[in-house]
Amino acid sequence: MKYILMMASTKAGVNGYKAWPDKDIQTHFAYLHALNKELSESGEFVATQPLAGPNEAKLVRAGKDGAPITDDVFPEAKEFLLGYWIVDVESPQRAFEIAARLSAGPGPGGVPTNMPIEVRQIMSGRAEELDTAGSGARIERSR
Amino acid sequence: MKYILMMTGTKADFDWYTKWPKKDLEAQFAFMHAFNKELKDSGAFVAAEGLAFPDQAKIVRAGKNGEPITDGVFPESKEFLAGYWIVDVESADEAYKIAARASAAPHPPRNGPGGTEDNQPIEVRQVMSGPPEELLR
Repeated sequence: MKYILMMASTKAGVNGYKAWPDKDIQTHFAYLHALNKELSESGEFVATQPLAGPNEAKLVRAGKDGAPITDDVFPEAKEFLLGYWIVDVESPQRAFEIAARLSAGPGPGGVPTNMPIEVRQIMSGRAEELDTAGSGARIERSR
Repeated sequence: MKYILMMTGTKADFDWYTKWPKKDLEAQFAFMHAFNKELKDSGAFVAAEGLAFPDQAKIVRAGKNGEPITDGVFPESKEFLAGYWIVDVESADEAYKIAARASAAPHPPRNGPGGTEDNQPIEVRQVMSGPPEELLR
């Protein structure tokens, strides 16, 4: 079973990280690096991607002629995806354990951030072959 | 340069989606299939995933002892990721053009007959090969 573990935050939250002392940022990334290595060794690691910051986010819609219309104004409360991990595990509980490890990553002064991690199952197979977005989920769900 | 194209929706949006007529769902599947094939043929396709519905979403935090504390309660306004594409392209503009294609996927009128024909917004961000520079400075 594949699960995606998502780290998200508002712009204000991201500005909070940016204010972390360098040493604390390095400690945090060393923690994540060690966790990635551990998951690779256990065979549970599938993928991880960090994303560019919210300041670079654009919302794109197709105009009437199909041309992209871009917008970069977002509500203050919007949660931006900062990065994700995909893990292949035996049970949802194991996905939650790994999410808790991410949540326990060290923050300023080494104190765990306890940041919330959203966990959702990935609709494998179909998603890779044909569908994206809700389509795969819909098929899976209707079984 | 890699970009992620994200489709999101609130629970209300997902509820709407579950009520689409079969014909509209089939049209959407056919569109997505052709779209993904085209991205693969052009070499821009890196990955695409669809996620389980928001009613299965959990928020997990580490408790004091490091054990997971799970919660399934979210604000009404929360945007859930429905799925994403990662594309490898030469420029941001190229990523926006691909996003516009995804945005123009066929769909029935929102909120039932006579509802709006608004296209689906797609959030686009660059995917970094390491931690975002702004976090590392």
